[in-house]
Amino acid sequence: MSATTQSPKSPARKPPATETASSVKMIRLMGSVSLICGLLIVTTYRGTLAPIQRNQEIIMKETVAELLPGVERQVVYGVQPAGGITVLKNLDYAGPRLFAGYDASGALLGVVLEASDRGYADVIRTMYAYSPSKQAITGFKVVELKETPGLGDKITSDPAFLANFRHLDVRLNADGTSTAHPVTTVKQGTKKNPWEVDAISGATISSRAVGRALDKSTRDLLPIVNRHLGRIEKGE
Amino acid sequence: MNVPAPTPEIQLRTSPHFHTSRSVSMIMRNVVYALLPICAFSVWLFGISALASLAAGAASCVLTEYVACRMAGRPASVGDFSAVITGLLLALTLPPGFPLWMTAVGGVIAVGLGKMLFGGLGFNVFNPALVGRAFLQAAFPIAITTYTPAMAVNRFVEFIPATLTLPFTRPPELAEWIQRVRVDAFSSATPLMMQKFDHVTTEVLPLFLGKVAGSAGETSAGLILLCGAYLIVRKFMDWRIPAAMLSSAFLVGAAFHLAAPAQYPNPLFVLFSGGLMLGAMFMATDMVASPVTPLGVWIYGALMGLITVVIRFLGGLPEGVMYAILLGNAVSPMIDNLTQPRIYGARKKEKAKA
Amino acid sequence: MAHVHGQELPASTAENMEAFFNGLWNQNPVFVQVLGMCPTLAVTNSVRNALAMGLATTFVLVCSNTLISMVRKLVPKQVRIATYILIIATFVTIVDYLIKAISIPVYKALGAFIALIVVNCIILGRAEAYASKNPVGKSMLDGLGMGLGFAFALTCLGGVREILGAGSFLGIHLFGANFQPWVLFLLPPGGFLTLAAWLLIFSSWKARPRKKAEALEEIAA
Repeated sequence: MSATTQSPKSPARKPPATETASSVKMIRLMGSVSLICGLLIVTTYRGTLAPIQRNQEIIMKETVAELLPGVERQVVYGVQPAGGITVLKNLDYAGPRLFAGYDASGALLGVVLEASDRGYADVIRTMYAYSPSKQAITGFKVVELKETPGLGDKITSDPAFLANFRHLDVRLNADGTSTAHPVTTVKQGTKKNPWEVDAISGATISSRAVGRALDKSTRDLLPIVNRHLGRIEKGE
Repeated sequence: MNVPAPTPEIQLRTSPHFHTSRSVSMIMRNVVYALLPICAFSVWLFGISALASLAAGAASCVLTEYVACRMAGRPASVGDFSAVITGLLLALTLPPGFPLWMTAVGGVIAVGLGKMLFGGLGFNVFNPALVGRAFLQAAFPIAITTYTPAMAVNRFVEFIPATLTLPFTRPPELAEWIQRVRVDAFSSATPLMMQKFDHVTTEVLPLFLGKVAGSAGETSAGLILLCGAYLIVRKFMDWRIPAAMLSSAFLVGAAFHLAAPAQYPNPLFVLFSGGLMLGAMFMATDMVASPVTPLGVWIYGALMGLITVVIRFLGGLPEGVMYAILLGNAVSPMIDNLTQPRIYGARKKEKAKA
Repeated sequence: MAHVHGQELPASTAENMEAFFNGLWNQNPVFVQVLGMCPTLAVTNSVRNALAMGLATTFVLVCSNTLISMVRKLVPKQVRIATYILIIATFVTIVDYLIKAISIPVYKALGAFIALIVVNCIILGRAEAYASKNPVGKSMLDGLGMGLGFAFALTCLGGVREILGAGSFLGIHLFGANFQPWVLFLLPPGGFLTLAAWLLIFSSWKARPRKKAEALEEIAA
């Protein structure tokens, strides 16, 4: 201790031998502290891994159940970069995920997908239910947003706005490579086509972000869902 | 045009000595006179709700100033009319049916936070009325963007329902009421909102005359010009500030319009719509919060005009005058520093070196 | 590190109490020392977030103060800051996992600010100013006092901001459906205004006894 707690006033006169000794001591100490810290972190990581995954699964399951009423069983698929799909055991997946929901008889109710885009304050994350039989979006939920309270956050509650997503036409084009009509956001009260989203006046930016997010997600993912529909229906 | 500074016991000044009969309260009284026609016009346009709003704004400002002076143990400075001006300006920048309790909150913030906390008149960094309005805009974003149409029927006998909202409660929905009282050809959307969200540009003449929706006192560009001209002619106001701000807004607007005529409105619309005229004439010219050097004043005005147009065209909000002026206020001490005139007889630095 | 060599007597109860109440009140990290402003302003838009951040910081403070005090005699002066940061970062990582395991919504609401506890100057400040010079028991109490003082201050801010900004406290609505929320208080400027108001109240309250004494002196004179 005395070697290392020398007064800093006399560093120049410190003999070199002491310095190497204290360096060794420093490395030894830092090493052991790192070891303890590492052990603590690893222990916590192992201990919390299961509850964290359970939490994430519960939240996802609840959201899917909300978007697909009557769902009894869920299967999660991950979309591979090449366009294939695999069943996921773990929700941690870098690519897009498809949450397929089945009723008590095992029939496919619909597929829940994620969509996100930049809103006014930050990225708005949403999930929506897609019904392959109706070729339409049948449910919609905002899962994460930081929009201005009272204005942009109306997209989570405005009944007229949410009514857009009870049946939003997202049918595919003839060759099944994209949606036939892009999802577009229009000014409040001017919705004419079933693929248009009626914006909230006063929350135009957030409404448009939702429209853009859905458009991008449906165009990219719905062709994949339809290509693998046979597999998804069987739940494998 | 002197701003009252804390008076030392003995004042030493070099000659020449001017005597001026202008006092703070005299200037302020004339500003009130200049505002009165604008107030009267807003009452004619929007009815007793606008009148109540003006009264609430002025009363809350005067009361706050009185209480703040009492708390600080200073003689009441209410007599100099500056609090009345703050209150009137605040009410003129608010929608005509703005709930009275919110107007009063704005008045308390404007004078309490924007003025008295800095030390009273002469020490405020920002225009107090705009500090109050900025607070209201952030606190009640829906109420402050709920406009009602001008020239509504029964406007002299019936309040706009939102006006009489009980304190701390939400103002009622106005859509139905607007349908009932609206006179054809008068919309409840302001020209700026129509431009921003629907790309409908209002003609210049209605904007000049002012029979459009908007904040209570901002609608008639012509009348505001006239009232501002009175202050300029009587030399109560630095004409350079509105000149710089309006011409810079016009030029920047023209540049945008030339680059993309389909997307951006013509520069005359920029000039006569929204609060630009009222802001340039009565708020940017706040004597305390604007620079004092002649060159600095031009820079200050030009900067505010630029920011206004940039916010309107590129930002998320339809109107940007308020933030433009507050930002201009914030940088005005720096502008003053940069534009100090050379002392008479002193050489420029470079020359001195050589 | 002058008195590191001094012999260690078990601290008296009074000393322990002082170590605890120092942080909670007299040297409150937010209201008196004005430290840790970043989380104070950023995550106090609701009582739940403020409490979660306060308690997470308390956890890190107590653990890091304890461990640092334990190794204080072994750590060479030259690497002490590096060691402290290593220890603090460990506990921040741990608390990050724990919050995720307890509640994902809270984790999402606090966002990056959990990881940023590591740069909260209160923690390194206590390590350097207190834990490196005092025995384990007192260091732990100091961490607890400072942490709870921080949590108390954050809750004060969060309470005002949630009541005015959303009309609720801990998510329970207080005023009925007609209440007009003051959105400003949920936004960053509301954080500054609320903090300013609390600092004003706190310092004028603390200045009161002094004023009284001055007045008495005047009378005596």
